[in-house]
Amino acid sequence: MPIAQKARREASEVDDRVIARRRLLTWFSSVGLFGSAILSAFSNLVFIKPRATYGQPARFAIGKPDEFPPGTRISLDVRRVCVVREGSKVAAISTTCTHLGCIVGVSDTGFACPCHGSRFDQDGNVTGGPAPKPLPWFKVSLKPNGDLEIDKGIEVPSGTYYNV
Amino acid sequence: MSDTTKQSGVWTAVKELPGNVWSSIFRNPLPSSDLERASTSFTNFFLHIHPVKVHKNTLRPIYTMGLGLISFFLFLILVVTGVLLMFYYVPATTQAYDRMLDLRGSVAFGIFLRNMHRWSAHGMVAVVFLHLCRVFFTGAYKRPREFNWVLGVLMLLVTLFLSFTGYLLPWDQLAFWAITVGTSIAGYAPLVGQQIKFLLLGDTTVGQEALLRFYVLHVAVLPSTLVLLIAVHFWRIRKDGGLSRPEKTGTEALTMRSEPAPNVAVSVTAVPVAKKRLYGLQGFVRGPFTKIGNVPDDSVFSWPNLLIAELFVFVMTVAIILCVSLLFNAPLEEPVNVMHPPNPAKAPWYFLGLQEMVSYSAFWGGVGIPGLFVALLLGVPYFDRNPKGVGRWFARERLLANTIFLTLVLVNVIFIVIGTFFRGPNWSFVSPW
Repeated sequence: MPIAQKARREASEVDDRVIARRRLLTWFSSVGLFGSAILSAFSNLVFIKPRATYGQPARFAIGKPDEFPPGTRISLDVRRVCVVREGSKVAAISTTCTHLGCIVGVSDTGFACPCHGSRFDQDGNVTGGPAPKPLPWFKVSLKPNGDLEIDKGIEVPSGTYYNV
Repeated sequence: MSDTTKQSGVWTAVKELPGNVWSSIFRNPLPSSDLERASTSFTNFFLHIHPVKVHKNTLRPIYTMGLGLISFFLFLILVVTGVLLMFYYVPATTQAYDRMLDLRGSVAFGIFLRNMHRWSAHGMVAVVFLHLCRVFFTGAYKRPREFNWVLGVLMLLVTLFLSFTGYLLPWDQLAFWAITVGTSIAGYAPLVGQQIKFLLLGDTTVGQEALLRFYVLHVAVLPSTLVLLIAVHFWRIRKDGGLSRPEKTGTEALTMRSEPAPNVAVSVTAVPVAKKRLYGLQGFVRGPFTKIGNVPDDSVFSWPNLLIAELFVFVMTVAIILCVSLLFNAPLEEPVNVMHPPNPAKAPWYFLGLQEMVSYSAFWGGVGIPGLFVALLLGVPYFDRNPKGVGRWFARERLLANTIFLTLVLVNVIFIVIGTFFRGPNWSFVSPW
């Protein structure tokens, strides 16, 4: 009898060990499978996010300061930026509406958006319509060859002019 | 001797060739008995999606109005015409618009196929939404059909996204500015909005990358997603016990079960006997379904009853799309001019309610309220656990739920009407007359 009991106990211990091992292996393989699924989903996301874009560069030259006489506000629609010259000071204000991305036009009082009727003053502050934010100002600098350069990647506080 | 039998064998084979080929493809002759009607549905690949018998309620035109079926047939038309249009379309900003003109000018049936594709797309958005309304107003989303409702809501979203991605492809003014506005709305989503916008466009503004991405989404990613969802949706209809129907049938089944035991004395033994006879032909389907034996039931054979109904809906759908496509041309505006947005720039009609709300607040109109509405739709079957009022239009027990839903639908319709007819330049209020 004791021998049978011992054998039974040993068998149940073996069973427990086998079950524990099985649980561990199941756990490992589940983590492996789900982990790989998440990793592959993540790598797909990395793949479809372009590292370089083919569109317009964020930094571009717009020509000599003389091309923008004092007192003018010239909207460069292709670049989606308005160049403002006051005396010897130059600034670049975005013409992309902060509401839904339409191109705002230069009006007597500042800027007006044709899509949903947002209005901005001369400095790009919202004066009406659904636009939630003022038009951003971009960094202006002078290149070594004397061309003005705008960097749409760098926003500057409203009212920041570059002295030519 | 063996020679002659061989000859006659070959000769017989030749003689019986047409019949043998026919019977190898179609396992059954045209059915003339119930058994054959059953096996016609059962043994045919294209027909075995149907149950052998369906409840009479499934065939009541006034109950379903065939809206789900019409959505599916419109999707079929869209796949066929879409694949044909792909033979001529080039997803490049320099060529896309010219290809639209070519469809009009030099491709045989080009403009007709484009019309069919465009009008079917509009129709599908409308019919899918009406199908959703039908299922809501008849309470058909209730247990055990909760998950199929969720699948349906997902399919509505995929349908809208399919329509949205297709909208850019002609690369005309309408397309460019609608997508500029639409993707900007996506940019208002909290935290991930700008990331999603960048992933969608592949750039900061709508351009060549966006056109290519929308094309791939429109012709490959989204249609295959929709096919998968449709397959699961159809499968679930059967596994959830067929189309929903009034509870009355449930009580009928109950009375049937106790019918063999009219005397109280024998009822104890009679009930299990009766139960034995009532089992589903399809195995483990939920709810009372097809019965075997001489039990009176309310079901009819799928062949030919259901098939004829489906064929009728199919023919009507195709006929209407053909007529509309012959009469009206799909709009095509000026080619894209990045410098000059049309004023007002309007989204397609089914998004105009959204655009109207967006003109008040970009976040709440474009992301917040639509997001809440979708969350509400997804959650409805899990919060509305009242099992009453299934299978009837506007059931009294569902007065509150139906009123809330009808209000939301009407508000959306009113916003669409305002956005379509009452908005002029700079989105200012104008009178259409």
